[in-house]
Amino acid sequence: MKLLGQPNSINVRKVLWTCAELGYSPEMEHWGTKAQPTDHPDFLAVTPKGLVPVLIDGDLTLTESNTICRYLVGHAGRSELLSPKPRERAQIEAWMDWQATELNNSWRTAFMAIVRKDPSYAKPDAVRVSSQTWNKLMALLDDQLGRTGAFVCGHTFTLADIVLGLSTNRWELTPMEKPSLPSVTAWMERMSDRPGFQAHCRNDVP
Amino acid sequence: MLKVWGRRSAFNVQKVMWLIGELELEHIHTEAGGAAGGLDDPAFRAMNLHGKVPVIDHDGSIIWESHAILRYLAAVFGDAAFWSDDPGARSEADRWMDWSQTSLQPAFLTGIFWGYFRTPEEQRDWLSIREKQELTSQCLIRLEEALEGRDFLGGSQFGLADIPAGTNLYRLFGMDLEWPAVPRVEAWYERLKERPAYREHVMIPFQDLKGRTSF
Repeated sequence: MKLLGQPNSINVRKVLWTCAELGYSPEMEHWGTKAQPTDHPDFLAVTPKGLVPVLIDGDLTLTESNTICRYLVGHAGRSELLSPKPRERAQIEAWMDWQATELNNSWRTAFMAIVRKDPSYAKPDAVRVSSQTWNKLMALLDDQLGRTGAFVCGHTFTLADIVLGLSTNRWELTPMEKPSLPSVTAWMERMSDRPGFQAHCRNDVP
Repeated sequence: MLKVWGRRSAFNVQKVMWLIGELELEHIHTEAGGAAGGLDDPAFRAMNLHGKVPVIDHDGSIIWESHAILRYLAAVFGDAAFWSDDPGARSEADRWMDWSQTSLQPAFLTGIFWGYFRTPEEQRDWLSIREKQELTSQCLIRLEEALEGRDFLGGSQFGLADIPAGTNLYRLFGMDLEWPAVPRVEAWYERLKERPAYREHVMIPFQDLKGRTSF
């Protein structure tokens, strides 16, 4: 297997952490860097979408980080990370989709302005609204974790914890006013002995 | 029994209703959200703490997030064309579903349908609208490339890949904006319009919503 991307991209890190959980070590080909940007014709020939990560496994070329994570878990037959039973699977996928849509869209302005210092996002009102929405959604995650008392979807670790763990690490490393979320803090601690978490999530990269 | 909550004109509800129509599932539909309200009721929040539609309850399995619902219904009720046992085959539809909700939907539905079409003229942010129009056009070109040599987005048969992206087309082509020439996408749209479930659940007139953010 070959993984195209770079290890600081939050979406590539979802795949790297998943691989660490599965004991997979795909060969990394660096794309999305200054030397090899994703609009390079060689990269667009692999994926016209021009987005990392891409996973190549034999004659399959997979795009979209969540699709790749689902595929890898299915490939490894590790059903405890994403159940094949529709009802249990849907609970995990709902949180994965929520991360990819609601939560991801909430932070963009605040993160780009505060951490990336991108001047096109530096509008104080928009940054305030974005950080408030981000905090509000993180509080919903805190409610859910308070309810389960363990992991996002219950008493076992799943793919939902990987994608939301990375989002939470970004939230923790973004310097802005934040509420205290004890269930989120306890959950991040609960995951801290996992090698994949140490290497690809809580690794000082926002 | 299958129960569905959501406003029929809501984009994410339309995806779910379209699949329910394709699979000819008996169900009870309840309007929720928009003018019908009810999303903050404790009973609704107990089903979905996020207070969003669509939500389904299938014999006690309560599921939220439109794509999680689509995958659930496909796995429970669909044949192999909808839900393969092979992870590689499933990823064919998965990648277009994920792309649709993270690339196409933010550009078109949020940026254009809400940012342009539903926003009153004097409040429109044209800089943002032009940027989202360009992003939407790029998405249409991605679809045009993907449809080369295939009748449907996931392959030769209709399947889950078609639903999230295809739900955009009725509004996109029904709007007074310029799009690049995408003949394969237009032919795909014609094929979708032949499907009774698409006509019933997606082709719901929206022209009265122009310049109006209320329901």
